[in-house]
Amino acid sequence: MTTETPAATLTSVDLMTRIKDNLPVVVVSVFSVILFVLVGIEGGPPQLFNVIVTGGMWALLATGLALVFGVMNIPHFAHGESFMVGAYVSYFTFTPMNKFFLSTGSKFLIYSGPILAIIAAGLAGCVLGIIIERIIFAPLRHRTKEGWIMNAFLLTVGLSFILVNGTTLTLGPNFRGIPRYYDVPALEFMGAFIAVDRIVATAIAIVTIGSLWFFLRQTKTGRAIRAVSQDETGAQLVGIDLDFIQTLTFSLATGTAAISGASLLFMFQAYPTVGLTPLYFAWYVVMLVGLGNVAGAIFGGFIVALLQSATQLFIGLSWQSVVPTAVMILVLILAPSGIFGSEVKGIQEQ
Amino acid sequence: MLELKNLDSGYDFLQVLWDVSLTVEKGEFVALIGPNGAGKSTTLRTVAGLVKPMGGDILFKGESIRNKPAHIISRMGISYVSEALNLFTDMSVRENLLLGAYAVKEKETQLETLDYIFELFPRLQERKDQLAGTMSGGERKMLAIARGMMSNPTLMLVDEPSLGLQPNLTYDVFSALLKLVKQGVTILLVEQNVNATLDITDRAYILEQGRIVMDGPSQEMKANQHVQNAYLGI
Repeated sequence: MTTETPAATLTSVDLMTRIKDNLPVVVVSVFSVILFVLVGIEGGPPQLFNVIVTGGMWALLATGLALVFGVMNIPHFAHGESFMVGAYVSYFTFTPMNKFFLSTGSKFLIYSGPILAIIAAGLAGCVLGIIIERIIFAPLRHRTKEGWIMNAFLLTVGLSFILVNGTTLTLGPNFRGIPRYYDVPALEFMGAFIAVDRIVATAIAIVTIGSLWFFLRQTKTGRAIRAVSQDETGAQLVGIDLDFIQTLTFSLATGTAAISGASLLFMFQAYPTVGLTPLYFAWYVVMLVGLGNVAGAIFGGFIVALLQSATQLFIGLSWQSVVPTAVMILVLILAPSGIFGSEVKGIQEQ
Repeated sequence: MLELKNLDSGYDFLQVLWDVSLTVEKGEFVALIGPNGAGKSTTLRTVAGLVKPMGGDILFKGESIRNKPAHIISRMGISYVSEALNLFTDMSVRENLLLGAYAVKEKETQLETLDYIFELFPRLQERKDQLAGTMSGGERKMLAIARGMMSNPTLMLVDEPSLGLQPNLTYDVFSALLKLVKQGVTILLVEQNVNATLDITDRAYILEQGRIVMDGPSQEMKANQHVQNAYLGI
């Protein structure tokens, strides 16, 4: 008994210092839980589910941004175009495929169609990521790392212009969309009706984030990605091929963005500038939690979605972008490096 | 095993090394000593592939490595423990060590080496779940050396392991290096602590203003007038 008492006080002291060290995170978490409960009381299950669907998607997009910024120090402003490409690929694979599957009449094929389209979009995104990294960023990286962040930023903006206008040129500015992926009635859930598409989108977001998380934490290559984001020189010294890791990271980020574009096709449709809103919100998430912080990006995605829903519910739809922006200004004043306060390594050296 | 032939090296327009030639034979423990700014670290960084040579050649086991990227050089069996340590500060000690064996394919060999390292540095085993960035200076140096050993290198380049360490920790680090040499690892050591370094190494090169000015067996160097005046303060 005598040995237990000091140990117990030690852990409580430990807990207090931990809370103190991570004050912004704790404050935001407590605030979010309260908000979540309030939204639940006021809006009921449909609103809560809405938070989860949008949150999952913002989280998925923001994870890609955080990865690209953390590992390659690229402020990626063409991330929305990966979303756009995903939406288009999914549209162009799903529409003919669905027609064919409907003609066969096989239930299994009809149900797996959307999943296949989303997977195709993800793969196309990965390939696009490899191409972009190889022909745009790798040559610059090999030439000089001086002024890298600014140069990379300008490159992504240029890339965004090319992709948006290239799409307009080839496919036209028209909206291409589908009313829904799954032509089945909405499911009843705690007295609310929720479209199957939304459930599938959420499941895809969760599975993608989960596998990305597992990949980064538990596999050798994932560990190497984290190593590069923490110390590039150290990574080279242990035999990690920087080019390979950076191309892989970019490809993963583009692929996940394409997946979210594809799985939200029924909400956003496909048109050349569809990526703008998701891009803004993904950036909003990473600025809120701290650039380059993957775990934070997941958390932040849900907070932003919650904020959106709460604004809509308590203040009004027209305030939807005012309140989040006000919160962002507040965060930048109080915790300039984001609520997780992560410092991005590698920037100082450049 | 390692041979530098008339190596010129430096950063952009600033040449640091001029016509440096040195050899390290298999199993040897060789020191590279010299004043601040002489180019000792640049020599090691050039061999490790972090700095591109401007002229001359670097041979490792008879093969030229001057144009190879750093990760290939590391995979060939040269392990560079840098002065800045370059640890992965947000990862645990264990993860850092496993990354040290990144190029080792077999999982079993990795774990065997890990066990061996923990035996050699019990301190690291005690702290295996601690984040590398939260450890003390001495422990971090140990970790950097241990990480360098995880790939089972044939040649280790160790840069200023005693920098900023208290004397008894310096002693620990040096005895760890000696243990490695006994196991057949070849080491090229850069050090400021000239007295202790000459006591433990076989041979030494003296680098001044980017040029090798003297070399020979460590014991002879210790008796040399120039070395005594310039480095040992006798």
